[in-house]
Amino acid sequence: MIQLCNVFKSYQRGNSRVNVLHDVSLGIESGEFVAIMGPSGSGKSTLLNILGCLDTADSGDYLFNGESVMMANEDELATIRNRSLGFVFQSFNLIPRIDAKRNVELPMVYAGVNQEVRNNRALAALKIVGLEDRAHHIPAHLSGGQQQRVAIARAIVNDPDIIIADEPTGALDSKSSHEIMKIFQQLQAAGKTIVMVTHENEIAKYAQRIINVDDGKIRTS
Amino acid sequence: MQALSSLRENKLRTVLSVIGITVGIAAVMVVGTVSEGVNKYIYAELDTYGLETIWIYRKWDDENPFRTARKGSGIDNDDLNSMRSCCPSVRRVTPVVYADDDSIQMRSKGKFSNVNLEGVGIHYLEINHDRVTTGRDFRKNDIQRRKPVAIIGTRVSDELFGKHTNPLRRVIRWGDIRLTVIGVLEFESRDILTQLGADDYDVNKRVLIPYTLYQQQFGVKDIHTLQAEAISVDKIEDAARELTDLLSRRHNNHYEYVDESMKGWIETAEDILGNISLVGLIAASISLFVGGLGIMNIMGTSVVERTREIGIRKALGAYRRDILAQFLMEATVVSVVGGVLGMVLGILAGYSIGYLSGYELGISWSTAFIAMIISIMVGIASGYIPAHRASKLKPVDALRYE
Ligand SMILES: Nc1ncnc2c1ncn2[C@@H]1O[C@H](COP(=O)(O)OP(=O)(O)O)[C@@H](O)[C@H]1O
Ligand SMILES: [Mg+2]
Repeated sequence: MIQLCNVFKSYQRGNSRVNVLHDVSLGIESGEFVAIMGPSGSGKSTLLNILGCLDTADSGDYLFNGESVMMANEDELATIRNRSLGFVFQSFNLIPRIDAKRNVELPMVYAGVNQEVRNNRALAALKIVGLEDRAHHIPAHLSGGQQQRVAIARAIVNDPDIIIADEPTGALDSKSSHEIMKIFQQLQAAGKTIVMVTHENEIAKYAQRIINVDDGKIRTS
Repeated sequence: MQALSSLRENKLRTVLSVIGITVGIAAVMVVGTVSEGVNKYIYAELDTYGLETIWIYRKWDDENPFRTARKGSGIDNDDLNSMRSCCPSVRRVTPVVYADDDSIQMRSKGKFSNVNLEGVGIHYLEINHDRVTTGRDFRKNDIQRRKPVAIIGTRVSDELFGKHTNPLRRVIRWGDIRLTVIGVLEFESRDILTQLGADDYDVNKRVLIPYTLYQQQFGVKDIHTLQAEAISVDKIEDAARELTDLLSRRHNNHYEYVDESMKGWIETAEDILGNISLVGLIAASISLFVGGLGIMNIMGTSVVERTREIGIRKALGAYRRDILAQFLMEATVVSVVGGVLGMVLGILAGYSIGYLSGYELGISWSTAFIAMIISIMVGIASGYIPAHRASKLKPVDALRYE
């Protein structure tokens, strides 16, 4: 499903270059639930952003469903993000001025789905995360756990293959965290591939496989 | 709809940019309305003379004693007849005879009026662009048979008969003569032109009678002035030359003739109108420029503030053109709303100026249309740069923004 081969990534900071990812190779199979762990600043988010086509590697190759995306242009990457990927972020990243349902509709807006279908599918996705009765609340009127569930509904509404989650429970209390993880388990059971960054062992337990990152390298354990 | 929600969210910013455009458009509208209004009034006043009018008369301060041998104006009824066929640039001609110095007193049932008496021919009203509000024009018969009939100005009518009496078929006494009123002239204003330095001859105090009757009463054969109408404004000079040449030829160069036309006045008017438009155009451009800068600045702020939102939208699969369209949509909404408000404000300002100045100013719809187009263009152009910048952001960079 996903194949990274000898990926390097560095950032310019001041007048020195910082190598963030150093010769990273990994593969993730369809239907897997993988947790990426490692100390703060080790390059977990950088790795996840590359996997999520939000960022591009400096060198190496990235095969997505068997096809290289290294040469893809911006619009092609946008199409992959829209159809094949769903994102869940630590800080939820909902658009504050529109209600839950409209937030969930956004990926479909960019996919060109018509209003009626959008409406039905958004409500169905909110139902999966147990928030159909909060469809018309704006984010500020929802708890953190509820906001993250709206974000999950948004991530799955275009029926993507892969869910990319960067510390999805990082801003939540322990009860909400476990609720979120149960939803992830259901999604995996429904056939989704999940790649999640976390630094909490409690949370990582929900995954089947753990990839450890340390100082820009994958530590095989 | 996405665009509108963000505009609603950022009320103050939206209001400020709308105001920028509103003021600019209102300024454009006011300029358009005022210059169109002034244009309308000046041309309406110029038109009271007839725009194609030429006056021909003998040069009076002729120093050569031989040239003054013959009395009078040097133009007579025979000249008039020959003119009709010989001057291709002239549409029609009327003789005008008048008492050069004082006004003449006329009476009706114990009321008096000092009037400007003119003896005229049948084309006089057409050449002067005069209209009768009631009654009729002169007929050939009135002129040929020296009928004692008169067409009078509104002030003469008011002074002799009062405002509420129909003066038609009433009698005005002028010495022993009893003139029957056959028509009343439409009121004409020359206020602006008088302020610009035209003579203060009161057109509303005219009493027009057949020039033949005038000649008979004053025992003269000559015609003071020929008033002619050129076939178009461009042909005024040709027409004037044809007429003066013809007169000089017929009188063996005994006299010199002078021609006057509206040309100078038309040029003066166009100068004034050009200046008004120029000043207005500069003022309007400045306000629109400021409005545009406002939109650009405000859109720029909006892009920075919403960098994270741009990142989210891109993560969800928005193409560059979606982001561009969203920001351009906002700019368009701001400029259309600003444009419409500016038009309303401009219309109100136009009416107020009209009301305060006492002139009836029509709304310039062509200016309104142009102003609307300009506001949309300024809005979109000003929104484009920040929108373009927003659309180019990498999703990961936009998402990292706090
Ligand atoms: N855009 C960037 N510019 C410069 N340095 C960056 C940028 N993004 C990440 N880094 C650096 O790369 C390193 C890894 O960051 P990140 O992938 O966010 O780590 P983690 O998610 O594991 O905490 C950190 O030292 C961070 O400061
Ligand atoms: Mg991180």
